[in-house]
Order: sequence, then C-alpha cells, then structure tokens
Amino acid sequence: MRKYWQIAKGRMQENTAYSAWYWAGTASAVMRLLIIYFFWQAVYANQTTIQNINLETMLTYIVIAMLLQGFVGGVGNELAENIKDGQVAIELMRPYDMIFKMFAVDIGGKIMYLIQGTIPMLLIAYFFMDISFPKSPETILLFGVSALAGIWIGTFFDFLVGVLAFWTVNVWGVRVLKESLITFFSGALVPITLFPDWLRTITEFLPFQAMVYLPVSIFSGLISGTEAYMALGVQLFWLVSLYVLVRFIWSQAIKQITIFGG
Amino acid sequence: MITVENLKKEYKLVKRDPGLKGAMKSLFNRKYETKHAVKGIDFTIEQGETVGYIGSNGAGKSTTIKMLTGILTPTSGKVTVNGLVPYENRQKNAVNIGAVFGQRTQLFWDIPVRESYNLLKHIYEIPEQEYQETIEMFTEVLNLESLLGIPVRQLSLGQKMRCELAAAFLHRPKVVYLDEPTIGLDIAVKVKIRKFIKEMNQRWGTTVLLTTHDMQDIEEICDRIIIIDGGTILYDGGLDEIKKQFGQKRVIHFELADKEKFELPSALNGQVEVLPNEEETKISLSFDHEAVKSSFVISEMMSMYEIGDLNIADPKIETIVEDLYNKQEQGEEHEKVLANS
Repeated sequence: MRKYWQIAKGRMQENTAYSAWYWAGTASAVMRLLIIYFFWQAVYANQTTIQNINLETMLTYIVIAMLLQGFVGGVGNELAENIKDGQVAIELMRPYDMIFKMFAVDIGGKIMYLIQGTIPMLLIAYFFMDISFPKSPETILLFGVSALAGIWIGTFFDFLVGVLAFWTVNVWGVRVLKESLITFFSGALVPITLFPDWLRTITEFLPFQAMVYLPVSIFSGLISGTEAYMALGVQLFWLVSLYVLVRFIWSQAIKQITIFGG
Repeated sequence: MITVENLKKEYKLVKRDPGLKGAMKSLFNRKYETKHAVKGIDFTIEQGETVGYIGSNGAGKSTTIKMLTGILTPTSGKVTVNGLVPYENRQKNAVNIGAVFGQRTQLFWDIPVRESYNLLKHIYEIPEQEYQETIEMFTEVLNLESLLGIPVRQLSLGQKMRCELAAAFLHRPKVVYLDEPTIGLDIAVKVKIRKFIKEMNQRWGTTVLLTTHDMQDIEEICDRIIIIDGGTILYDGGLDEIKKQFGQKRVIHFELADKEKFELPSALNGQVEVLPNEEETKISLSFDHEAVKSSFVISEMMSMYEIGDLNIADPKIETIVEDLYNKQEQGEEHEKVLANS
C-alpha cells in the first residue's frame, strides 16, 4: 500500500515541476468557471425557471458539475502512450500491479488538481456566486459517497479507453470521441432533465450519467430521498461492472504484449 | 541461477501483398508469416557469472532477455530465474532482477534523480539503512554527487546512463540484465560503467548478463560469452577458450613499394594465404599462428621485398565474432544450394 502512496506522491512532485504550467492551470480553471457563470446568468435574464429549475439551482448544478468533471478523467492517455512507445515493458518488470500503479498515479494527479483547480474555484463560487450548499448532513454524506463513486467510474472508463490502444491505431480519435461523449452524456454541460425524453432514456442506460449527473443532482437537490439511494445503487452497478471489465481487458492486453511482443 | 532449456519464441506477422489491392485482400483473408526469433536455445548461468550475450542485430538477443525478465512468454521451452518462471511470477521475479535497456529510461523524467531513487526505494521495499549505504557507495563509484539534484531530462546521455545503472543495482538484485548499456557513450563514461559493473559483480556476486556491440565491454567485464545468430547459439564458453579455438589465425598487412610484382615467397607456400586487399600498395597475409611464427613470415617477406610498413592484426574477439557470423552465413547459403540442387 505504501509503495502506491509513494507513487502518487511522485506524480504530485512531477506536476509541480513546471510552475508556470501549474499556475496557468489554476487561471484557466477560474476562467472557465466565470464563463459558464455569466453564460447562465444571461440565459436566465428573461425567465425565472427552465423546466422548473430556477437560476440558483441551475448555477449550483452547473458549478458543482464543472468541479466534478475535472476528476472524471484518468490516466488512460498515459497508459496508451506507454503501450505505444513500448515503455510498458519496463513497467511490467516492476514489483507492482500495473493497474494499481496507474490508479496511484491518477490519484496523485487528482490531489494536485484539487489544490490547483478545485479549491480556488470552490472559494470563488462560495464567496462570489449565489450557490446553495446542501443543509442536511445526510445529503452532504450522500453526495460525498456518490461523487467518489462517480470519479472512479470515470477513471475506470478512461482506463478502458486507454487499453484500447492495443487494438486501434488511432488512439487520439477514440479519445476525442470519449471526451465528447462524456461531456454530453454525463450531464456536465446541462442537467440531463433538460434532454428530450428519448435522449434521456438512452442516457439512463449509459454509464456516463453516473459520473457527474447523479452526484451533482444529489448535491443540488434535484434528486433526494429514496431516489438518491437508487442513484447510489446504479453507481455501484457501474462501478463493479467497469472494474471487472478493466481487469478482464487488461489481462487480455497483457497476453497480447507478452505473446506477440506488443 | 538461470536455466534455459530448448527455449523458443515465434512471432506471427501479418503478411501483406503490396499496394491497395493487397491491403483490401488482407482485410478478408489474412496470411500470417511465422518469424522464429529464438529457435530452441539452451544454457545455464550460475550465480555470480558475468556473461556477454552477443549477436548481430535481430539475432534474438533482446527476445531472450525479454523472456528472462518475464515481459515475453515463450512459445515453448523452459526458463527459470532463481527458481521462478519469470512470465508466471512476474512481480516476484521483478524483485530479484534489475535491468538497463540502453534505449529506454526507467527514471522519472521531470523530477530530480534523487527523488526517482527514493521512489524506487519504496517500490522495491529496500530497508532505509541498506538504501543509504547503497546510495553512498554508488555516489562515490559513479560520481553521482552533482547529478542527484537534477531532473533527468536535463542530464546528458552519459550522466543519464550512470544514473540508470545505479537504479538497476539499487535493490541489490541477484541478476542484472544490461541491454546495450554503453550505446552512444564516450570512452571515459564507458570505462566508468565497466568498472562499476565489475565492482558490483565482485562485491555482491551479482549475476550479469550483458548484450553489447562493443567487444571491449565484453573483454573487460565478462568471463564467458554466448554468441547467438539467427536464433541459435553458435558458441557458449569462456572468453579465453574462444580466442584459443578461433583466434590462432593471424593477419599481417604489409605495405609494398610495388604490389604488382608480388608473389608469395616459396618458403611460405601452402602455409600462408593471401587475402584480398583493395589498397594499391598493401597486401595481407593470413596464417595459422601455431604452424608458422609471425617472425618467420616477416623475415621472409623482408628478405624478398622492400617493406614500407607492416601491421600485425590482433586476434581480437571482434574479428573472431565477425568470422563466426560470416561462417554461419556461408553455411546457410551452402545449405540452400544443396537444397536446391
């Protein structure tokens, strides 16, 4: 366990290696926050509710979704590069489980992002924007669990896309597709309740809504009570299925490397 | 320590006909071509041996090393390293081995070298005190002092390779595989690296398996060599023996004032062979060192011709190996001719 924590710390150090890059990350996070804030202010200029969602709830949803979206990515990209350039061979010679190692790296990166992007955005949102924070401890707890589940679902999914590098020549194309699918179907752009019915039905059968939409809906009060626990159940389902899939695909990939030489 | 029995590795490569038509065809009807990278090799390496594993490019060296590290699964045959089958116990095997691949880095690109070592300490679970001792010793032998605080990306190739080497030996592995550790380095760094490898071998009894194209590496580090070509082992034995076995041939190059008139002195007839030499003023004589003395050949030549300069080629391991490769190729061609007739 300790070695994985050290690996995470190593990644944190790497991320601070370029200080200009680091602060640019903070600046761009804050900028994006301001842009969507003023955009939704403008949308609500002539109406008080959209589909029964008022401005405050909407802003809360959008801002929290944005904060959470920063975490649903993963290290799939790095894994794909490792596989492509053969560095994965070195990794296979180390006394650690490569999946756990990649997750450790991912956690390191996310801790840095939390400090560099999320906390500044959260502070600005808290002090300068009209966002309603949940009052009951139960909601906060539910949101915490749900957010963690959502983050891991996103991480597993990203890992899966990364492993696809074995079988596809153009990893970049697959990644762009993945990014746009996630942004749209996870509900990071707009709440899924605003989708037309047929699209919403499709979305409910996809894993993406479990990444952002479900936890953020719990936070902003769009989902509460029994529905919230149902949402957690759905997340649990995706969490377990995706992890099993990750393990399976990875073992196939390892076979591919060790038998065909990559 | 390391045993390899009838080890084979085959790759399946997709064979394509040229052009668009070929590409379309391959979509429906894939033809595979089997490439035999390693064709059934055997060897045993004892604890503490330093073995040079040499062969031309594509001979199967790296494939063998990859099977020993557990990165590749053999098609058939047996491998054990320290009692473990590497590809079945990859993580357990990893603790016992260290490796340097001259073309790849295992240090972290963006953080100082010292931090990379610290991370390796945790990954290999090296006890703190042992780690401190090791680092101190490596710093001294490899002159790492000034490099420890610098990120890897800012190091020169020679500096980087010294750091890589230290990383490979850091957890005091029982076996170290070095795949071209001196590639692209200057003489001074090469000397330092060879000295380090030898010292580690003596101090900890580390088994070293080294591949290289620089025969000087072999002569200075290894006491045994295995020569592989076309996936089969051509030679396996001591370094001195190979010199005795194949190295009796001497070659002397003479510079003559007038090459046109040259004829082999009659006293040397039948014992000395005239090798083709493209230079206008030089001729080369080859002979068996045991049968004829160099001094005799030289004195005979001096008595008959005006010699401007002469040069006795050493029985270098390099020429021996080159000879072996060439013989192998000729043998193969010969076989083909026989097969066709």
